Amino acid sequence: TYYVFTFLVGYSAVALNHVIDFKEKKQEIIKPVSPSELFPSLPIVQGTSKRIKVLTRLTLVVSDPSHCNLLRSTSANIRLYDIIAVFPKTEKLFHIACTTLDVDLVCINVTEKLPFYFRRPPVNMAIDRGIYFELLYTPAIKDSTMRRYTISNAISLMQICKGKNIVISSAAERPLELRGPYDVANLGLLFGLSESEAKAAVSTNCRATMLHGETRKSACGVVYTVKKPRKVEEEETTLPACKKAKTEA
Amino acid sequence: ARPAGRMARAEPPAAAFERRVLRSAAEHHYLRVRLELPDGGARPSVAQFKQLVVSALRELHGEVGAALPVDVLTYEEKTLSAILRVVSSGLVKLWSALTLLGFYQNRRCAFRVLQVKPCGAGWLPPNVSSRSKVVW
Repeated sequence: TYYVFTFLVGYSAVALNHVIDFKEKKQEIIKPVSPSELFPSLPIVQGTSKRIKVLTRLTLVVSDPSHCNLLRSTSANIRLYDIIAVFPKTEKLFHIACTTLDVDLVCINVTEKLPFYFRRPPVNMAIDRGIYFELLYTPAIKDSTMRRYTISNAISLMQICKGKNIVISSAAERPLELRGPYDVANLGLLFGLSESEAKAAVSTNCRATMLHGETRKSACGVVYTVKKPRKVEEEETTLPACKKAKTEA
Repeated sequence: ARPAGRMARAEPPAAAFERRVLRSAAEHHYLRVRLELPDGGARPSVAQFKQLVVSALRELHGEVGAALPVDVLTYEEKTLSAILRVVSSGLVKLWSALTLLGFYQNRRCAFRVLQVKPCGAGWLPPNVSSRSKVVW
């Protein structure tokens, strides 16, 4: 009944998250559970006649550069997930995730003080590549220390990225930890976003992440043709006009 | 001078409704909220409800937040729903404080903000107007 609750609160798409932490040994990426197996019939979104979309999502907690090899290798199971998120634990990994890794979301830690400062170059590169930064709000509901870390980490992120490419999501494990979309957009205002950016963080940016995941799943390579410029035949070397005048004179 | 052959223009039909736009910002904002307490324990009275709202503000925004003038206009103990009134400048603070509230007396709870309106009129029942008396 958990997902039924999300539709009561007002969402139209839900992603089920599967977290893989590489610190623990023997982590294998298993096939995602197909939503149709879990929920035989999905409820209809409030106000429309479409059904809720249930997506599958994989979060990789990386604390070592060797963990990223999994993403680079074309593992069959990884491709089955709709959205791939990476949770970098060090500054180097954050840089790698923003610039080279093929992911849709970069998770920002909200449960402890950031071990590194955000810098503009990787963040801007991530924005250009269409990668979104994700903030969680459920830890803020559970504990007051987490609340401080959430808000302070969010504010430092906002200073660098200026409110672009932000997604606010819940890591809710219980129906009671979910909040409605407008409530979450209001939290965005608290983090320092403008009104339109806060609303986009709950709606437009999430949809863009979904589409980014779809394009990542479908495109493997691009082939395009380029017209080769014709080789200009070399004419007799003629002196430029100014030099000509000097020699003549 | 108008040419003689031109017909007089027909008057447009009178409008069926009139639209008024008030430019001045509303003084108060009204929130219809519902507290969800899934465990079947004792329901808070209106005084405890108000205290819960103020403590949520204090937890998130400190003493300045707790001093925000919030009024409970209606309260239904059976459904735990209420209509709150707050000055418009404090709407974001109150709304975020209610959103991030997770516990009431160590019981898990959640505030659901159902409606937010800048004017006191036009509610679905139970009705409230801007001249309503404060309950608590």
